[in-house]
Amino acid sequence: MKTIGLFRFLPALTSFSIAFFIIFSPALKAQAPDDSLSTTSPDALAVSIAPPTSLVVFDYKYDDGEALELTWVPSVDDLPVVGKVTGYELYRSDNGGEFYKITELIPGSNNFRDEDLSTGVNYVYYIVALSADARAASVKTEAIQTHREWLNFNLKYLFLIALIISASVIYFIETARRGKKLFVRKIAGLEAVDDAIGQATEMGRSILFIPGINDMDEVQTLAAITILGRVSRVVADYDTKIHMPVSRSLVMTAARETIKASYMAAGRPDAYSDDMVHYVTDEQFGYVAAVDAIMVREKPATIFLLGSFFAESLILAETGNSVGAIQIAGTARPAQLPFFIAACDFTLIGEELFAASAYLSGEPKQLGSLKGQDVGKALAMLVILIAVILATISEIRPLETVRYVLDFLIQVFTIKT
Amino acid sequence: MEHFALWLAAFLTLGIISFLYKDNAWYKLTESIFIGLSAGYWMVSLFWDNFYGKFWVNKSESPYLYVGAVLGLLMLLRLVPRIGWISRWPLSFIVGATSGLWLINYFSSNIMKQIEATILPLFSAQFGSGFDAGAAAIIGNLVIVTGTFSGLVYFFFSKEHKGAFGRTAKLGIWIIMITFGASFGYTVMSRMSLFIGRIDFLLSDWLGMIL
Amino acid sequence: MKRNVPLAITFIVGAVLIFSVFIPPMENWGEDFTLFFDIIAVFAFFLGGGNLLRVHLTKLSRRKQDWPYSIVTIMGFLLMLAAGLFRIGNPGDINASLTEQGSLFQTIYDSVFVPLGSTMYALLAFFVASASYRAFRAKNREATILLVAAFIILLGRTPLGTIVTGWVPESFSILQIPNLAIWIMNSPNLAGQRAIMIGIGLGVVSMSLRLILGIERTYLGGDDK
Repeated sequence: MKTIGLFRFLPALTSFSIAFFIIFSPALKAQAPDDSLSTTSPDALAVSIAPPTSLVVFDYKYDDGEALELTWVPSVDDLPVVGKVTGYELYRSDNGGEFYKITELIPGSNNFRDEDLSTGVNYVYYIVALSADARAASVKTEAIQTHREWLNFNLKYLFLIALIISASVIYFIETARRGKKLFVRKIAGLEAVDDAIGQATEMGRSILFIPGINDMDEVQTLAAITILGRVSRVVADYDTKIHMPVSRSLVMTAARETIKASYMAAGRPDAYSDDMVHYVTDEQFGYVAAVDAIMVREKPATIFLLGSFFAESLILAETGNSVGAIQIAGTARPAQLPFFIAACDFTLIGEELFAASAYLSGEPKQLGSLKGQDVGKALAMLVILIAVILATISEIRPLETVRYVLDFLIQVFTIKT
Repeated sequence: MEHFALWLAAFLTLGIISFLYKDNAWYKLTESIFIGLSAGYWMVSLFWDNFYGKFWVNKSESPYLYVGAVLGLLMLLRLVPRIGWISRWPLSFIVGATSGLWLINYFSSNIMKQIEATILPLFSAQFGSGFDAGAAAIIGNLVIVTGTFSGLVYFFFSKEHKGAFGRTAKLGIWIIMITFGASFGYTVMSRMSLFIGRIDFLLSDWLGMIL
Repeated sequence: MKRNVPLAITFIVGAVLIFSVFIPPMENWGEDFTLFFDIIAVFAFFLGGGNLLRVHLTKLSRRKQDWPYSIVTIMGFLLMLAAGLFRIGNPGDINASLTEQGSLFQTIYDSVFVPLGSTMYALLAFFVASASYRAFRAKNREATILLVAAFIILLGRTPLGTIVTGWVPESFSILQIPNLAIWIMNSPNLAGQRAIMIGIGLGVVSMSLRLILGIERTYLGGDDK
């Protein structure tokens, strides 16, 4: 009885529900997913612009768990020129806390990388499209955490090729160590080193060694110090005077250790003095003013300008030239090389600067490393040759296989960040 | 005070320029002032920026800072002859770090990126036609590719520059010389304008002549 | 101990920094090294600054040639330290900014430092001229190529280049000097740059490996004595 009694109301209930749904459903749909929007008037929340859709968040791959990537489809009202959307605001909640604005984006944006995040925190996002008088929010994302990866697979090809070239350097070092004779061609600037030092000795004049103006955190300075090791060994043997004004305190320390070691190896530790190396000033042109003066007053017979040089390269090289010194220069800064070429007797170009110490040492294992470098060059040339041929073919006839191999090669040598 | 500063600046400027004639007392005075003041200036900057700034102002939580300080103190042990050799530890730390850091950096910026940039088609329909567009682009890309290739041949250490290899190396050094010529020519103008700037200071700022 | 510990430090630090690039949790270690380095550099300056004082005090006490100038250098050094470290001649109290207008430190910087630096820099104009003159007289083929390229680039950057080759017909405009200069910059110049850069990259890899593996160890100084 009871059931039948209620059943009588069913048609009425149904029609009431349908009517309710029809009347209120647009308002329900337009209801923003977030309470923090309550400051906006209900009118503005209505349909004056469409919200961004398909907001997706995913972990940024191969990082330390500090970034998330977001993508979305911009509001349909976000059109160039005639569009109503004036921009977007992105909101985030950390571990269920209140939502807050993390960034503002220009119209047309459809992605964002949220960085400086932490692992173990639940992040929820939503994005709001803005127009002059309305806001429209997307739905919220699912909660997501960042993941820490232990290997950066974006750099796999960098790792692989670095490994191949490093391995070839080490392989030839080992081969040479085991006694295999390796040929290394003559490098004029380095062949001249002994003669240049010999001449200074005969003339009773000094040798000036300038290791560039950068500190020990620059590889060119390291190269200069390793060359100094070889030069000072000859200097110690010949008992020539060496003078080395420097512009960095750490370089002073390293240079002193190096020269001292050479004098010890030559069996003349007493002939060494700390005064051979002295600090002038860190200031680029102050240092240049002092070195120029030293050149003019001491008239050294030989000048080495090896390391990292900037605008002062030409001032130093020309002054050295004017006092008639034999000058051996070298740097890896392409912009300064022409000045050294114009004003010095011998110039070590780029790679030669880094190879100089190995060359001068004459030790087989050191020379082996130069052979390893050549493998790198051969590899580079081979890749360039093959890829250029493929690129040209694919421009003339679009063959799928060619395109595939070419794309792969380009991908291998492109560093993703 | 301002007047004095202007005259001082002019006095020092002329002191430096006088060196072009020959080494003289005026230059020596200017040089000594420059060295003394600039060394002091750098010490002050290093102290406030690198030391005070990092330990007190932006109090970094990083424990590395203190490791750096310990290494720095070890460096100072050079002043104690008997245990001076300990100062090689921070030195070898720096050498190791500089080598390790730059190895990969140079690898990606100087090797990988440059190879990638040299992958160019020698011909493309997009080059356009005619001498100016089509031919120039084809020759341009051809020069880039063969130039890079022969330049690399020049740097080969383990092969004598003889025969065909030697001729390619020769082409390589010519290309490298064009590169040097280009940057030489590019710099000449800007260097000239620097000097014109100093003359302008002497004549208009100092002597009040209007140029 | 005196030799092996430093070699081990170089090896470990070098190897760790190489691998850190590929391991996300360690990817910032390279940047942290700069922090280390800056701190060590401050301590090292005591050695450098101390050496500067020592050199000039020795010159002074032994009355070596040009010793009066050493007084100037020492005075300048101490003056800058006084103005900078103890903030002497600074308006306001000890906490006021060093670089404030009117402070002794800033005044010295503006009226001594800036003109000295820029004049030294400006001397380059003379040296560029003398270097160009010498390059002109050079007789070998390499120097001639360098000079011709330099000349075209130089002309291309001045109105003279346009005037000299303005008659070249439009369809061959690439041969007009300003365009030729651009072509040289974009093609042969670029090729040379690339070869040099790839070479440098390989040179750095090889030298770094020699240092890290302890094959190159001249910088480490004397043996165990």
